[in-house]
Amino acid sequence: MDGMSDALEPEGDTVERFRTVMLPHLDAAYGFARWLTRDPVQAQDVAQEAMLRALRYFHSFRGGEARPWLLRIVRNTWHDAQRQRAGDQPLEVVENTADDGPDPEASAIAVDRRRHVAAALAALPQEAREILVLREIEDFTYKEIAAVLDLPIGTVMSRLARARERLAGDLEGRLGRRDHGLRDL
Amino acid sequence: MDCATCEAMVDVYLDGEMSAADCAAFERALEFCPDCRRRLEDARALSGLLRDLPADRAPDLLRARLDRELRAIAGKSRPSPAPVATPTVVATTLLPRPSLRWVAMAASLLVAVGIGWLGGMSSMQGKRDADELTAGFVRVASSDHPVDVVSSDRHTVKPWFAGKISYSPPVRDLTTGGFPLLGGRVDIFDGRKVAVLVYRHNQHKVALTLWPARSDNDTPADIAQRDGFVLAQWRHGGFEMRAVSDIEPAEMAAFVKAVDSAEGPDR
Repeated sequence: MDGMSDALEPEGDTVERFRTVMLPHLDAAYGFARWLTRDPVQAQDVAQEAMLRALRYFHSFRGGEARPWLLRIVRNTWHDAQRQRAGDQPLEVVENTADDGPDPEASAIAVDRRRHVAAALAALPQEAREILVLREIEDFTYKEIAAVLDLPIGTVMSRLARARERLAGDLEGRLGRRDHGLRDL
Repeated sequence: MDCATCEAMVDVYLDGEMSAADCAAFERALEFCPDCRRRLEDARALSGLLRDLPADRAPDLLRARLDRELRAIAGKSRPSPAPVATPTVVATTLLPRPSLRWVAMAASLLVAVGIGWLGGMSSMQGKRDADELTAGFVRVASSDHPVDVVSSDRHTVKPWFAGKISYSPPVRDLTTGGFPLLGGRVDIFDGRKVAVLVYRHNQHKVALTLWPARSDNDTPADIAQRDGFVLAQWRHGGFEMRAVSDIEPAEMAAFVKAVDSAEGPDR
């Protein structure tokens, strides 16, 4: 995956600095890739490629928040990977997204609810999915989301509103609580 | 404010993107608008459901693969195997603030302090934890918005965490100990969402990350210097405590003491 004109061959010191600044965000990079790809194995490849890309472009990182900068690269990496592939993958809902790892405190109901929420989120089109992940899971500000998605803030707000509306509708459908709001879940 | 305006503001309000004045106007308008109150509750519930999803942690395999790649790249430009970090370079290039830079340099002059994170810092996991905490502190120290909830009032800060993380952290006022509270934020540590309390000490900030401990035994603080930062690790009152700052080790010891001796009605 090349064709990056202003990428530099990183030096040892750069790598060390990169480890300190960017490596702590590997979980975020993987998590975002996981929601974009909806596939744990592919997410690892995208996250790894994105980290290496980030290292090559690290000289252009001007400080500030590292996570939005990195997640933008994750997203670009994923888009490039998709472009290389002929057809898109089927919109299969990822299994086990909701309950990775033991969570003894969570009741069966909570686990079930989480699985529904994760499945509903995974089933959304990318445009809605990514913005919800950035806002609610990464807890990004509108400005940070705008930076990752390369959109004006006004568009971020309207997309976010549409995504929320859609997810709320899907969830109520999935959970069969049309009469009550999400509050009762 | 009419209902259409009110309705349009629900998301902005919930996302914390509204000015204090607008927040007050919106809250007043809500009193007269049951529909918008319901909308707000629904929006809050939806947000809560998403935030309740477990955070995905990068698999160890990915971490190992990446580590190998990074070593190979670093090795290409450096004939000898990479030494343990280079504190001055790391800290000065990372942090534009003069105070931080000075402390980093001073710290590296003291000794090329290779003090390990006592007990576990020498291990990969310990080093990674320390990196993660230090990076968290750097975010706090170098950001214009070091905290998500800005308040010196622990009665404001503590409830703010409700619904954002899975436990209720003890929030103490340490003003008398010389560490006024600036506020709090949620960060990711070791793959989970954790509470970070930010205190001020003169011109410096101290980031205190805390989460429920598996054991009730208090442990004395290990204070170590690393990459120009001071890190403290201890357990108190059923909570694991990790503090990072660019203050002097003696000041960090005072901070630890202030945290431990501040018995709040909170606990």
